[in-house]
Amino acid sequence: MSKASEPFVSVCGADESAIQHMMETMVGYILQVGVMISAALLVAGYAWRFLATGHLGFDYTIAGMNLYDFAMLEVRQVAEGAFRPRLLVSLGIVVLLLTPLVRVLASMVFFAVVARNLKYALFTLFVLTVLVHSLLVR
Amino acid sequence: MDTLPVGWLLLISVAAGFVGAMSGMGGGVILIPALTLAGMDIKHAIAASIVSVIATSSGAAAAYVRDRLTNLKVGMFLEMFTMLGAIVGASITVLVSPRPLFIIFGVVLLVVWGAMYLQRNVDWEPAAHVDRFSRWLELKGCYFDQAAGHDIHYEGTRAYLGGPMMFGAGFIAGLLGIGAGALKVLVLDLGMRLPPKVSTTTSNLIIGVTALAGTSVYLAAGLIDPGLAAPIILGVSVGAFIGTVVLVRLSNMAVRRFFLVVLLALGAEMVIRGVWGNL
Repeated sequence: MSKASEPFVSVCGADESAIQHMMETMVGYILQVGVMISAALLVAGYAWRFLATGHLGFDYTIAGMNLYDFAMLEVRQVAEGAFRPRLLVSLGIVVLLLTPLVRVLASMVFFAVVARNLKYALFTLFVLTVLVHSLLVR
Repeated sequence: MDTLPVGWLLLISVAAGFVGAMSGMGGGVILIPALTLAGMDIKHAIAASIVSVIATSSGAAAAYVRDRLTNLKVGMFLEMFTMLGAIVGASITVLVSPRPLFIIFGVVLLVVWGAMYLQRNVDWEPAAHVDRFSRWLELKGCYFDQAAGHDIHYEGTRAYLGGPMMFGAGFIAGLLGIGAGALKVLVLDLGMRLPPKVSTTTSNLIIGVTALAGTSVYLAAGLIDPGLAAPIILGVSVGAFIGTVVLVRLSNMAVRRFFLVVLLALGAEMVIRGVWGNL
């Protein structure tokens, strides 16, 4: 403990391992970058739509598609170079949905490989399996 | 279904995100009643709202995690339960008719109103006893408290209670398309004896995965319409951002009184429409 006369210096870092700090930084950046890319794509899609047509509405459906179908549709359009406002908006939504998924995947790999914490690697694997099944398979 | 003009969608979403961020209730609680009042079908409103919850919670969680306030292990343990709860909740919403959804939503709003009305500021104290299961889960943590000026050491306890209770919180989140942060914080605070700051920030991390699980059900049911969801995601995010900036400048009491009135009115309105409304 520090004396009252000295400014307090946080010692959390000492009993928290460096590994935990690495993980916090990783999770923080994945979430931050995912949300920022998603927002940028949505804004770009709407701006383009407005400049091209003078209105903002989009009317298309993705009923009957799971995230895999939806994402693949966009990947094909990107490959074909078929860029249009609608594609940017769809990509924005896909990136948003993938953000927590990537966070869970990265956490699982981190627990398994870096932290070597089997317990938590299995917890995150369980979350990942259920989410992947629910989003991509059915 | 009549489609709302995008301008309206954006306006309603910005307002909902703004109020949600300032009150700490999250956007969905305001967004869904507002969208249904504007004529949107409640299931589409719920589906669009839960997608926007991913954006707002992930944005906030990113900052909190790097401030080292979030307890990642508590979050990743409890996420298993909220995720399953959200899938069950959302599956029920897809199946039932709109009327009970209005009533449940209204009742949840009134319960949140009650909780906020009765809320007392109880000082946090560390758990006196930590059970073996919680110890096995390695729920220890430490953060630097700016206001207190020193480190706070804590350890989560009663994880055997926290897990099942989190299933319930996830269930409500998936069922109603909201973050249900207030419920999650309650479990972390009172159930697992985590310090308030750790509870709020950890609940934010859990909300992202919970909302994604709910979204997966609504996506499979064909209830997510990009033309509706996109402006709502953008609007709520912008509103939430403005809300967090303004929050610092407004007095706490005025803000609280305003939300209590809004919450009461929306809750009563949803119940009344659910019971007597022409849906």
